[in-house]
Amino acid sequence: MSVHRPTPHDSARLHVTGAARYVDDIPTPAGCLHLAFGQSTIAHGTITAMDLTAVRASEGVIAVLTANDLPHANDVSPSIHDEPLLATGTVHYVGQPLFAVVATSHTAARKAARLAEVTYDTKPAILTIEEAMAANSRFEEGPRVYTRGDASGAIDASAHVIDGVIDMGGQEHFYLEGQAALALPQDDGDMVVHSSTQHPSEIQHKVADALGLPMHGVKVEVRRMGGGFGGKESQGNALAVACAVAASLTGKPCKMRYDRDDDMVITGKRHDFRISYRAGFDHAGRVQGIEFVHYTRCGWAQDLSLPVADRAMLHADNAYFFENIRIESHRLRTNTQSATAFRGFGGPQGIVGVERVMDQIAHHLGLDPLEVRKVNYYAEMESADGGLSAPRAAAPLPPESILTKKKQVTPYGQEVTDFVLHGLTADLAARCDYEARRVAVAEWNAGSPVLKRGMAITPVKFGISFTLSHLNQAGALVHVYQDGSVALNHGGTEMGQGLYQKVAQVASGVFGIGLEQVRLTATDTSKVPNTSATAASSGSDLNGMAVLAACEALRARMADHLAAVRQGEPADVVFEGGLVRVGADEMTFCAAAKECYEGRVSLSATGFYKTPDISWDRIKGNGRPFYYFAYGAACSEVVIDTLTGEYKVLRTDILHDAGRSLNPALDIGQIEGGFVQGAGWLTTEELVWDDKGRLRTHAPSTYKIPAASDRPKVFNVALFEGDNPEATIHRSKAVGEPPFCLGISVLMALSDAVAACGAAYPALDAPATPERVLKAVMRVRGDA
Amino acid sequence: MYAFDFEKPTTVAEAVAALADDEAQPLSGGQTLIPTLKQRLAMPSKLVSLTGIAEMQGVCTNDAGQLCIGGATPHAVVAAEAASKYPALSALASNIGDPAVRNRGTIGGSVANNDPAACYPSAVLASGATVVTNNREIAADDYFQGLFSTALEEGEIITEVRFPVPQAANYQKFVQPASRFALVGVFVAKFADGVRVAVTGASNDGVFRWTEAEKALSANFSPDALNGLSVSADGMIGDLHGTPEYRAHLIAVMTKRAVAAAS
Ligand SMILES: Cc1cc2nc3c(=O)[nH]c(=O)nc-3n(C[C@H](O)[C@H](O)[C@H](O)COP(=O)(O)OP(=O)(O)OC[C@H]3O[C@@H](n4cnc5c(N)ncnc54)[C@H](O)[C@@H]3O)c2cc1C
Repeated sequence: MSVHRPTPHDSARLHVTGAARYVDDIPTPAGCLHLAFGQSTIAHGTITAMDLTAVRASEGVIAVLTANDLPHANDVSPSIHDEPLLATGTVHYVGQPLFAVVATSHTAARKAARLAEVTYDTKPAILTIEEAMAANSRFEEGPRVYTRGDASGAIDASAHVIDGVIDMGGQEHFYLEGQAALALPQDDGDMVVHSSTQHPSEIQHKVADALGLPMHGVKVEVRRMGGGFGGKESQGNALAVACAVAASLTGKPCKMRYDRDDDMVITGKRHDFRISYRAGFDHAGRVQGIEFVHYTRCGWAQDLSLPVADRAMLHADNAYFFENIRIESHRLRTNTQSATAFRGFGGPQGIVGVERVMDQIAHHLGLDPLEVRKVNYYAEMESADGGLSAPRAAAPLPPESILTKKKQVTPYGQEVTDFVLHGLTADLAARCDYEARRVAVAEWNAGSPVLKRGMAITPVKFGISFTLSHLNQAGALVHVYQDGSVALNHGGTEMGQGLYQKVAQVASGVFGIGLEQVRLTATDTSKVPNTSATAASSGSDLNGMAVLAACEALRARMADHLAAVRQGEPADVVFEGGLVRVGADEMTFCAAAKECYEGRVSLSATGFYKTPDISWDRIKGNGRPFYYFAYGAACSEVVIDTLTGEYKVLRTDILHDAGRSLNPALDIGQIEGGFVQGAGWLTTEELVWDDKGRLRTHAPSTYKIPAASDRPKVFNVALFEGDNPEATIHRSKAVGEPPFCLGISVLMALSDAVAACGAAYPALDAPATPERVLKAVMRVRGDA
Repeated sequence: MYAFDFEKPTTVAEAVAALADDEAQPLSGGQTLIPTLKQRLAMPSKLVSLTGIAEMQGVCTNDAGQLCIGGATPHAVVAAEAASKYPALSALASNIGDPAVRNRGTIGGSVANNDPAACYPSAVLASGATVVTNNREIAADDYFQGLFSTALEEGEIITEVRFPVPQAANYQKFVQPASRFALVGVFVAKFADGVRVAVTGASNDGVFRWTEAEKALSANFSPDALNGLSVSADGMIGDLHGTPEYRAHLIAVMTKRAVAAAS
């Protein structure tokens, strides 16, 4: 059985040979047309005139569509219908699509799109947090506030109080494959769409609305994406809808892909945040009361900003129990790209806020930050034998004392019953020799006036489930063919993370057959309907379970038949090693499938799964939004040059909890990639808008993502193995987003290194570019 | 791109003749010019390729001991051939862009273009090199005239750059991490009669000499000689990659580093 084994990604060979097919690689039928958007050049204003004569006259142009040419809905919003595909009078950001050019080639469309003469009545643009707060420009009526206890009173009564502010930038997804869609008109007005999307059902929904069709008239297919990271949850809608409308109007296949610069200028990014905080604590650093105010620039449309900002609030505690806490969250509307989902979905921003507080408390008290983190940790989960965790046991959990129970509740009312960070952190600290190395770093720094080293361990506790509870469902369709080959289909999409392989492993386990006998087919809305986005790290949790249910139903049908024919018991039929044994009879799985087919057994089944036991009231801020938590910790060591602010990550050690890993190789890959992407967010990746609202960093020549050479020179990643106490697919845990937060260890290690330069607290903002690090060094030295 | 004619002469004389046409422009490695044309920021009637001219290729030493580099010599060739003769210059060339840029881009193209963030101008200025064209020799101090502007006349081509070889030299480049161009680059060259320090990447006026540092280093060629010296942020470039203050600060640090590495 291949579950829990480190098998390679099912497309690994295709990826490395360049044979893996993406949307732009699909051979198109003759006469395929290509689209490009004409974009707004101002951040805010009304269009007074749009002269498209030159665009229409440009070589190869077949049609030019404006909002007025759209036959039905003009909307690509995933939430409150506030995002027209093509602008209707008012423009809200630089890059907003105004019209779509349909031409005979990609280049012809792009060239023509630049020829429009648009005049605007320019209005003042709201670009910054300050401007948005002053104008009360926001989503929702006012800030969301979640509270427990009396934070302000507890802070005032504390022996020590700190306050501060941290700014953290947004982040471009920088998926290697840009946004792309291909629409193929079908019989009787139906439409087939190939889209590079994490959310085929939403593309289907949006396209259907745009064409005035029921959803059954639209089929969306996704074989794979070249990366998504949340950037293809809602941002693919515009291309798919534009192509479908153009295809419907022209009767021709229509394709669109954004050039990298257009992609960066048009699409939304990670929400940038400013978090101000105040905390009161005792001599050991134990927090008595804590307050956060989150300010986030959501851009011009609501998109997924509410649940993103909610999740930031839900992770304001990270791994720490706070009796008295208040979190206030401002979701600001600005004239910039509509900020959207990005790996972690606001969680990382909330965690950075509290990790900054832990770091500053430790600095204030002169303690090791790890000690401060540990005294604030939630209580460790208890194992079945009454001891603390490790080795972890599956349910049932022991009854909890009232005291433990009280301690184990998050600010939003969810009990924390699976906390493992005490054991995990201790394990990591031992593996990476944390204490001895910290001493060594201090000694090294004492003798090194120019270069300074720093080290930090940061933990993550990440809530797993969509906070919009109804999204936590999945369907699957499984066929066993008469030759014994198995085809699987489910609603999850493959974006390189290895979902297909994990799910195939689940199926191969049920049937006791090799992976080569199992084929995952492209995600297809006509096979499995009403799917959720592949997001919230939930891909394997949800789809693995749905496929398991379908496979088990099929195996039961096969066992019933094979046993009945031989006067045996279905329960005694064994599927193992490619064979099926019924009593003394043994046959290959292929022969069994043929026999079942000839015995007129239905060899096709659907499966369905919904996450149990979750409920959430986002207005009250109360409930159990998460089925469970995933945990991890990272230790990073850095060295900075105090003359320039340059730095290097010398070493990172990670211990991460993927439950009973479905595939350790894929999980470690996700952890490595997540860490590097998280560290990139907080160090080199800087988005810069000018005072006109134009994004100035819209290409790799100006926006620096980490490359292979930027990873830590020593990089040890291990899994903290143990069963998920919740009954997830083979007791595994979700692994997509949580490790992203491990990159925070780099920011905190930089803070530690800067702190070695003087007495003041570094208060390092992110991204911690060399210039910011240098400024912090100067501040700490008192010569800023 | 707009349409243009193309010629590939084999001698400097033919090239000069071909460039006599109105709106004709020389093309060397195309690493700067081709992207400019693609963005339709230039509209030459004719491109005259200089890469087929044998007399503009290669690296040699003249009787005066100067390193003479043909105007159409790619960075990679300079990196390889100057390694033993002028290591600092070779190191500079070997860190320009990526392999494609180094194998196509030429010294003449770089010096003619005079990009404020380019590396070569600092070496030319710090070495007190001579820019040789089809009809004259121009001292480095007279050649660079601000952002993207030089002493070159219309149709004049750089056929060679002659570098006096210093006793010691070093180039320190603080890269802008995304493009790997110089955010600040400092070339320090020590000659028998004094030290020259040229700074690229930093100033709104392009490459310039930091004379205060030159004076201090000519008296005492050691990093300590620079203690207390700083460059004003006035006139420094401020952009998305760094403030004027940061660039000014980096000049002092990079200069010290260069001296430390050279001495
Ligand atoms: C990805 C990338 C990274 C780069 N990184 C760096 C870097 O780190 N450091 C750095 O210094 N540079 C860098 N460059 C710039 C590169 O070095 C220049 O593009 C190159 O040196 C220009 O030379 P060329 O031969 O390609 O000139 P071309 O592009 O052919 O021409 C440039 C200009 O000079 C004129 N010209 C060319 N040859 C002559 C001549 N002999 N006489 C008179 N005029 C002439 C042309 O008419 C044109 O105006 C980078 C470029 C790229 C694309």
